[in-house]
Amino acid sequence: MDHTPAHAAGRRLIQIALELPLARFTVRLAIVLRESVTAVMGPSGSGKTSLLEAVAGLRPRARGRIALDGAVVLDSAAGIRLRPEARRVGFVPQDAGLFPHMTALQNVRFGARGDTRRIDTALDVLELRALLGRDPASLSGGERQRVALARALASNPRLLLLDEPLAALDAALRERILPYLLRIRDQWGVPIIYVTHNVGEAIAVAGELLTLRDGAVEAQGPPLQLLDTASVAQASAGGVENVMRGEVIAHDAAGGITSLRLVGVLPLAIPLVASLAVGAAVTIAIRADDVVLATEPMTSLSARNLFAARVVAIHGSAANAIVRCAPTAGGSAWLVRLTRSAIDALGIAPGRDVWLAVKSHSVRLV
Amino acid sequence: MSNELGLILFTLRIATLSTALILIPGLAAALLLARYRGPGKGGIETVLSLPLVLPPTAVGILLLEALGRRAPLGGWLAAHGIEIVFTWKAVLLATMVMSFPLFVRSARTAFEEVDPRLVGIARTLGCGAATAFLRITLPLAWRGVVAGAVLAFSRALGEFGATVMIAGNIPGRTQTLALAIFSDNQTGHDDRALRLVAITVVLAFTALWSAEWITRRRTQRVAA
Repeated sequence: MDHTPAHAAGRRLIQIALELPLARFTVRLAIVLRESVTAVMGPSGSGKTSLLEAVAGLRPRARGRIALDGAVVLDSAAGIRLRPEARRVGFVPQDAGLFPHMTALQNVRFGARGDTRRIDTALDVLELRALLGRDPASLSGGERQRVALARALASNPRLLLLDEPLAALDAALRERILPYLLRIRDQWGVPIIYVTHNVGEAIAVAGELLTLRDGAVEAQGPPLQLLDTASVAQASAGGVENVMRGEVIAHDAAGGITSLRLVGVLPLAIPLVASLAVGAAVTIAIRADDVVLATEPMTSLSARNLFAARVVAIHGSAANAIVRCAPTAGGSAWLVRLTRSAIDALGIAPGRDVWLAVKSHSVRLV
Repeated sequence: MSNELGLILFTLRIATLSTALILIPGLAAALLLARYRGPGKGGIETVLSLPLVLPPTAVGILLLEALGRRAPLGGWLAAHGIEIVFTWKAVLLATMVMSFPLFVRSARTAFEEVDPRLVGIARTLGCGAATAFLRITLPLAWRGVVAGAVLAFSRALGEFGATVMIAGNIPGRTQTLALAIFSDNQTGHDDRALRLVAITVVLAFTALWSAEWITRRRTQRVAA
């Protein structure tokens, strides 16, 4: 693949100063985005979609200044307003917005202007080879999102805007766009602004999280540090996931176990998935509700995954407390949802050594 | 019989030419009405629909006035030696004016049903406004546009009132099927009138049926 990875190309800067009157309020914000993926969260009707559409050039009433990697696409003061077709911003709306009179392949080809190599790469990265001849109406929601994402990528965008409808925890896992998003982030080097309602995904994908309320920035920062903001707490009340990536180490057919090693070093056992090749990269999700926390080493426990960790922080309200723990072995932090009474009874506080247990059946492959 | 064949060919030629000529301005008007949200929208719509509700003879008189030598348009045409009234051009003009609103109404409804966000997405993918119209809006509104064109064509085939006012009813020069049926009936040639009626039924049926066939085929292809 000839696309330069994000880290090699250096972080690209996106500057957005925007004023956009809507029916209920005016979107008014000034942000600078430096991370390769920025997640945007906020209650519905907080201006998330309007923000994306304004950046894409689809809101004629938007005023302000928008610069993508140095290229100014909007500067009301200087009288600059690039048309959508000149902005090179890929936009994937909530409903995917596929052209209904074209097949999946025709949709992907639409923006590529005959650059077949780019089309091929997009089709491969999003695993669309089996869907090429299908009409949008016959695709599932997740498949439509993948086609729309490929279509946007094929147009060689400077920035990718993604409005994600299918990140709900109860959405079918195969419908998730998440694994593809991780691939795009790591292989393509195009910055992404990603609207999501899933805190776990935001933590896993985004270097930075932006929360909006009534068209204004509520908070901006690393996702884990924003767990206490109102919008994130509200979103996490429905459940939080630990989304992590790892690699298949071995299969134990007799024991019914496939062993993973998570990024970092942490080993993790999941129910046998013989179809996965050893060495294959996987993305897993474990609900914060499904992680058991103990203050003493657990013995004689049926859970296949036991490991030591240290409490880093306690987030959330009285009703919805999330304990963030760092595994002693290393790797990304784990979120554990506990009741306030359990936290009090166990005396859990930052710095405390704890043990975490995860049943292998609680691990879901995304 | 050769007389009747000439009549049929003349009527078809007028209806075809009329439909072809209103196509581009009609699409533009339909798109404008479908997308425009500013002031004066209601007024524009009403003026464009006026020929639908006015008696065709009234439209004919208005056209006659506009084309008269004392009117600016008529004067200009006369100064350039262009004669319209009581020629085939008058027939064409009458059919165009009468069928234009029918085409626009149908196309406009079809354009309104196209999600404007799809056009927006096409723009983000590098299409200019014109290309987005040709590749997204028009293909998606195709059925309504075809239906409108067929309506316009059928209306042109049967136009009577406005035509008779500005083109007269001159056999071999401005007489169409509709006018000939009237003349034959008035002059007691009822059997010829009925023959012509049968021909118009066949023509109208063919037009409507082929439109139905085209749009149904397209639907099946999209659904497949």
